[in-house]
Amino acid sequence: MRRQHRFFVWCVAPSLAVLALITLLPSLYLLVTSFTQLNLTRPETQWDFSQPFESYRQILADSRLHHSLWVQAKLSFWTVLLQVLIGLLLALLLNMRSGLIEALRTVFLIPMVLPPIVVAIIWKVIYTPDISPMHGIFRAIGWNVPALITDPNWALTAIIIADTWEWFPFTMLMVLAALQMMPQEILDAAKVDGATPLQLTFYITLPFLQGVLLVAGLFRLIDSIKAFPLIFILTDGGPGNVTEVTNYYSYLQAFNFSFLGFSSAITIALLAASVALSWLIVRVVGWGVRVD
Amino acid sequence: MTSIHRRSILRGTGALAAVGLSAPSVLAQAGKPHAGTTINAACFQTTYFDYLRAYFPEFEEKTGIKVNFTMQAFPVYNQRTDLELSTRGSALDVINVTFIYSGRWIGAGWLTNLDTFTKDAKLTPAAWAPEDFLGGPQSAMRNAKGETFGYAWLAGAMIQSAARYDLIEKAGLSMPKTFDELLKVCDAIHGKEGVAAFTADRLHHWNWIPYLMGMGGGVFKAPPENLTPTLTTPEAAKAADFYANLLVKYGPDGILSYSDDQAMRSQMAGRANIRTQDAVWMVPLFKHAESTVQKTVRYGLMPAGPSGNYPGSNSHALGIPAGSKKKEAAWEFIKWAVSKEIITRVVREHAYPGIARLSVIQSPEFKQVLTLNGQDVAALYLEVLQLGGKTGYMKYRTVPVFPQVGDKINKAIERIATKQQGAADAMKQAQAEAIQDLQKAGIKIDT
Amino acid sequence: MSTRTRTNRFLLQALAVTLAVLALAPFLWLLVMSFKTNAEIFRFPPRLFFEATLDNYAHLWTSEFRRSFSNSLIVATATTFLSLLVGVPAAYALSRWTAPGGNAITLWILASRMAPPIAFTIPYFLVYRHLELLDTLAGLVVIYLTFNLSLVIWMMRPFYDQLPRSLEEAAWIDGATMWQGFYRIILPLSGPGLAATAILCFLFAWNDFFFALILTRTEAMTAPVAVVNFMNYEGWEWGRIAAGGTMIMLPVLVFSFIVRKYLVHGLTGGALKG
Repeated sequence: MRRQHRFFVWCVAPSLAVLALITLLPSLYLLVTSFTQLNLTRPETQWDFSQPFESYRQILADSRLHHSLWVQAKLSFWTVLLQVLIGLLLALLLNMRSGLIEALRTVFLIPMVLPPIVVAIIWKVIYTPDISPMHGIFRAIGWNVPALITDPNWALTAIIIADTWEWFPFTMLMVLAALQMMPQEILDAAKVDGATPLQLTFYITLPFLQGVLLVAGLFRLIDSIKAFPLIFILTDGGPGNVTEVTNYYSYLQAFNFSFLGFSSAITIALLAASVALSWLIVRVVGWGVRVD
Repeated sequence: MTSIHRRSILRGTGALAAVGLSAPSVLAQAGKPHAGTTINAACFQTTYFDYLRAYFPEFEEKTGIKVNFTMQAFPVYNQRTDLELSTRGSALDVINVTFIYSGRWIGAGWLTNLDTFTKDAKLTPAAWAPEDFLGGPQSAMRNAKGETFGYAWLAGAMIQSAARYDLIEKAGLSMPKTFDELLKVCDAIHGKEGVAAFTADRLHHWNWIPYLMGMGGGVFKAPPENLTPTLTTPEAAKAADFYANLLVKYGPDGILSYSDDQAMRSQMAGRANIRTQDAVWMVPLFKHAESTVQKTVRYGLMPAGPSGNYPGSNSHALGIPAGSKKKEAAWEFIKWAVSKEIITRVVREHAYPGIARLSVIQSPEFKQVLTLNGQDVAALYLEVLQLGGKTGYMKYRTVPVFPQVGDKINKAIERIATKQQGAADAMKQAQAEAIQDLQKAGIKIDT
Repeated sequence: MSTRTRTNRFLLQALAVTLAVLALAPFLWLLVMSFKTNAEIFRFPPRLFFEATLDNYAHLWTSEFRRSFSNSLIVATATTFLSLLVGVPAAYALSRWTAPGGNAITLWILASRMAPPIAFTIPYFLVYRHLELLDTLAGLVVIYLTFNLSLVIWMMRPFYDQLPRSLEEAAWIDGATMWQGFYRIILPLSGPGLAATAILCFLFAWNDFFFALILTRTEAMTAPVAVVNFMNYEGWEWGRIAAGGTMIMLPVLVFSFIVRKYLVHGLTGGALKG
């Protein structure tokens, strides 16, 4: 057994060592940087810890940052909600045995597997009035629709639509996977008792799917914090700050204005949020708990 | 040097070209010292390097240096180059020293002092004449000690163009000379024949400032000494309101996302009429093969406000990042790209107005090729350059923190144009955000 | 089956097809656009039959875009290989053996997969300045390990969970070392899993935009960044932009089709089996 133990340690050690080197150490570096006012135009700020909490103080005072949190909240709420709903409905629709439907399942996956940057380009085309088929149709039926991504009332909605399109297949796929594991006996028993399809869905299928919907939602929630390419390509955070989410604001502060210390402090908060949500996932799924 | 001397040099352009070429060719015979080198150069999207690209093979032939040239949209270029310079990396060998970043980049020591090249006769023949570059545009490329960090390929000057001047005439009006007239003209022509009255790109912190100053406002209290932002003045609010109104009321759909190029194309396609921008974006309306408004385009001075006329002028130069590992090859490229011969050629072939070499500007050819639809655009252009040089009102742009403040201005104009905020509120927010960033950058602010 | 259920079934299938066409329309539009001339792109209503052109592709293929395409390929392949090399033994060990602090390790692995990219970008950017790894392919390979190594571990572990222990135990009894048991018996049996994992690793690296945006400039620029640069520069050359996008997504589509069964698995860290 000792021999086995040693072998397993040797198998795991390189991975953990590499992971520590490439993830833990950088996170630590990020944390340390957040205690400085690092700005690359002023090299003397690099290791200046004289005001360790200045960046955090600025976080509390920065109204644009607070606004970005609100934008983030709206974006997360709507994208997660829509993706879970649409994914669920589609999965229920596609949960039948037929060759056509099986093929369609694959077709529906396409938006999700496309490179995010290509998704952004696709929607840039759709939201650019000059070449957009959508705007062409609107014009043809006499609707005067403004360019969505430069209209403050629509810009965030435009992002939400694009993001939902990109990621509804994810929830759909997860639900479909869960549906296939659904015990057939319960359904059959209910049918024998005379339950209608609607009743089946509401009283048996949905409660069975609760768990998977929660997990899918959590995954999407974490991902929504990372939203970048769509915003970068479509709106650049604008018009004004309408679509400027926290992640994007942090990016601007770090890589447009070189306020790396300040941005690190924001990023630490983002990182903490995603670790917390990951922890929640681990708890919900019970993944990693060994059942032998 | 006297101008007579210059002219005599210029008259002998042909001979000069031969001399200019023969000097490096001696080196070339000595084995083209940089043959086989590849340099990476970058600039924002601009007509000058579009034109120049066609000549690159000649440069490669002459020096054996291969040029890998990338162009990006203005904000993207600035952001990526700023990032690269901040690391003192070696990814780029020749860059455009952007006007608004010149103070920041030179101040931070991120660029190479070019005097070491110009003062070395082996590297730079006397005929190249660094003193031939206009003083105004070059001033932004020097530090306090007078060392030079870039040579200007663009001396930009803001003018006004009307792509469809015929529509203005039809309305019984002429080129607007004041802000009030501009409004009147826009009102009269907007939507006629499906043409929007006004167009602009989204770089508001450049396009809007002449309107701000024309109404009596300013960006900072007293640049470069006192950088307290003055965006909350009544004049600023009024100017912001005026300009945002121009954009939304008279601009084409989607104007708020226009890049430089897209705004130009909107005029070239005859979808929009008036624009106030750097002349280099206006001349293609007449010269570009794809332009549909060649016959109807007219030019004029930027309209004046109640407090005077402040058309923007600026300069962009080629420089070498401090981290470049191929500085001599990079210098070869710069030397070539802004040599008299090349500049003369770009002027001749494309009527490119924005040059910074006095000898070429004073040549009769310059005036001749820049006579567009019977209009002397060269004169317009020089008038603007002089305006800018006289009172130094462009100083606000080269302070190291302008990029941050400019970003706040962009956002504020967008918020007003999209009716998210009134002008006063938007400017108040811009002011507060600007102060926050200035303090982060360690700048003293009046309270 | 009654007529009613059959009609219902037909209606539902028709609905599913309609929705699929709707969902795919934006994607198809881009694909078609890449074969259009600029004049054709600006035409509305679009013609169903137009003269397709390959000019957009030809132009891209003769430009710098080609190099960024091969950069993407090299980086994605290298990071895939390294992740598998380091991660597979770990996945096997974690499947057979309860490591001390197993839950913490699980959270760590999941969190490093889920962390916002900017959290790694800032420190990497700062450190790479000194290591001269900015704008290098090696620099990208390393930062792509941050998500791909975790991916390998959690993708592969459930595969090993499914293989009965008796397999390698039999080999041990025959005198094989533990390493041989893993290498000769277990590894070949997990072939399909390895292939799927490798493809997913490749795709995630291929799709990355943010890391490459910040950490590369010219030499190591990857295809997604190149196409965006291109878009910024030639704002009106929509045909070429579409062609660039299409070229980036084609390998992705092909590979995704191969591994479609494992997608859920890969995206959720084995939280669910697909």
